[in-house]
Amino acid sequence: MEMESGSMETREEGSKLGLGFPYWIPSRRRFKPDDLFFAAGNTERELLAKHVALDLTEDERYQLQKMEVAGANTVFCPIAGCGARLDYLEDFEDHYRTRHTASCSVCFRVYPTSRLLSIHVSEAHDSFFQAKVARGYPMYECLVESCGVKLKSYKSRQQHLVDKHKFPTTFEFYKKARPSKHRREKNQRKQALYKSEETKEKYMDVDEKTQKKMHQIYKPKQPKEAKETEMEVEEKIDDLVSAVSKLSTSDSSPSSVSFGHRHARGFAFVPRSIRQSRKQVSQPEAQG
Amino acid sequence: MIIDEEKEALDSKTSQTVLELKSAIAFQGKGATQKKVEILRVLRRLLSQSEVPPIEAALQAGAVPLLVQCLSFGSSDEQLLEAAWCLTNIAAGEPEHTKSLLPSLPMLIAHLGEKSSTPVAEQCAWAVGNVAGEGEELRNILLAQGALFPLARLMMSNKGSTSRTSSWALSNLIKGPDPKAANELIRVDGLLDAIVWHLKKADDELATEVAWVIVYLSALSEKATSLLVKSDVVRLLVGRLVASESLQMLIPVLRSLGNLVASDSYMIDVVLIVGHTITDELLSGLIKCLKSEHRVLKKEASWVLSNIAAGSLEHKRLIYSSEATPLLINFLSSAPFDIRKEAAFTLGNLCVAPPKNNEQPGIIVVHLVSLIDSGCLPGFLNLIRSADIESARLGLQFLELVMRGLPNGEGPKLVEREDGIEAMERFQFHENEEMRNMANTLVDKYFGEDYGLE
Repeated sequence: MEMESGSMETREEGSKLGLGFPYWIPSRRRFKPDDLFFAAGNTERELLAKHVALDLTEDERYQLQKMEVAGANTVFCPIAGCGARLDYLEDFEDHYRTRHTASCSVCFRVYPTSRLLSIHVSEAHDSFFQAKVARGYPMYECLVESCGVKLKSYKSRQQHLVDKHKFPTTFEFYKKARPSKHRREKNQRKQALYKSEETKEKYMDVDEKTQKKMHQIYKPKQPKEAKETEMEVEEKIDDLVSAVSKLSTSDSSPSSVSFGHRHARGFAFVPRSIRQSRKQVSQPEAQG
Repeated sequence: MIIDEEKEALDSKTSQTVLELKSAIAFQGKGATQKKVEILRVLRRLLSQSEVPPIEAALQAGAVPLLVQCLSFGSSDEQLLEAAWCLTNIAAGEPEHTKSLLPSLPMLIAHLGEKSSTPVAEQCAWAVGNVAGEGEELRNILLAQGALFPLARLMMSNKGSTSRTSSWALSNLIKGPDPKAANELIRVDGLLDAIVWHLKKADDELATEVAWVIVYLSALSEKATSLLVKSDVVRLLVGRLVASESLQMLIPVLRSLGNLVASDSYMIDVVLIVGHTITDELLSGLIKCLKSEHRVLKKEASWVLSNIAAGSLEHKRLIYSSEATPLLINFLSSAPFDIRKEAAFTLGNLCVAPPKNNEQPGIIVVHLVSLIDSGCLPGFLNLIRSADIESARLGLQFLELVMRGLPNGEGPKLVEREDGIEAMERFQFHENEEMRNMANTLVDKYFGEDYGLE
């Protein structure tokens, strides 16, 4: 039974198993006496063991309670490029909801910033974008806002992220894996309408399919599409138009991206009179 | 509420008294001793003001060197007492005030000695305790000047107030973070016996201070821990945990037990055998803390339980089938964040078998299924969504257990139903690489292209 401080050893143990995932391994956790873990209990001691003259003011008492209740930790938002400072752990969920859930109205993917969303929309749903790419313009923006570099292909952008910004090689901006639940349901509805050839393409990424069709209508001298396809394309254009109109241009975008570690600990606020209560004042009454 | 004029008057009276003390010390004639004591008493009363004691004024008038002179060997007990009392109250002020006591430390420590009268020694212990409480630097000075041993001796006193004050002072002195003092303390002859004696017999106030000494011994000194776990102390701490209703006492008692369980496997392997009375008592004491309205007790009791739940299969079964589990499940969904986290550690530990060498730890399916049925999953998903990396990691690890361990492939379906995929996908842009990889690994493995297509 190992002993550990924090969960460092668990992580090493897990990956030592060579299975790529740090599994849950039960182990005892130990804390040093001055660890933040014990702060609340220490404060209680100081509040209770008060032989001191000075009493807590109402304000200080309230501050202490607020500090304890809210988990007294300053945290920095861990979403890459945000770094927003939140004074209480409890506030993080609100922050995340308001700042990091920009979703694409075409394919319902969710992005943590409006900039990333707009990059996605350009790359995945915009035929103008594809047209320029086809003509050799560097259109694929680096995901790190302050970088400013543009690359000619998705792959070269990927490479740039790995080389210049130390992204993991497994990172994929555009995940081809699994369509969302919503998407799958939408697919299934469409399949009921269209011919059986469509179902063969069930496994393809939905947006690639979209792109291909969009591409086609802009090629000159293209024979008119089959009725179903045209319907689908129009639907897509409608969606795109509405998506563009929904894109917000304001909102704070991250001004810099850093992938280092952030310190997520603040220091517990201890009012003056609490510190004093660690020491005890001899009172006239106390002495014989 | 003291107003400026009053304060000014107080300050000037204080300065004046200090000046009088200076003359009295210089004065060699008849009645000199009595005069000194009278003036010291006046000064002591001024410094015992409850509102804003005129410490600054006293210091500026040069009180400390004079008080040091009043501590000289051969002085009457009364004089020593009053001088030490003044110094005590000066030390209770701001950090700079406490530091100003530096010149007096050797004398204060000297009067802790066994030849001193008990009230004098006690008052000096109080002053030393205040200084030790100020910070590491001052603690180191006190230790270097030999404060530890005499205080330890005083702790063994029969007089309640003396042993209480010196226990309190000791707890301040050894609190570290350097373990040196704790290691020295446990080596003092008779100390462990004194601790046992006090835990058995003492009133709540003294037992509380002794418990704090144990807190620091168990947190900092391996030597102390290994002696403590083999002694009667554990049984007595458990007894106090069960019997006491005083928050002041319960905190250090609980924490001592927590430190002992965390630090030394002897506790789980030898002392807390499932089926023994002590184990049942400890469990009921911990459950009492879970039910308490005090946040600290809930949190630290959950922590202790999480460590016991990291023990043997029998320990896991014991906790799982006790009242603790529903209480912890409730914490997981509605308690403040830090308590939720401890509950999560405990509940997760209940679901994973003790690790064997280099194998992937097995899942205790019965426990896992039951916890999931009781509605645990949302609580873990919330942890994944929090900003605290350790909690997010824990949540993802639990998710892995669920998806691997739930029979009939129910795990991934359940996770999806509870919006778990969305929670994992948040990590796509997380700044922490390990988090990204963990989440992506799970999504790829359990929600890959084949998922959801029947």
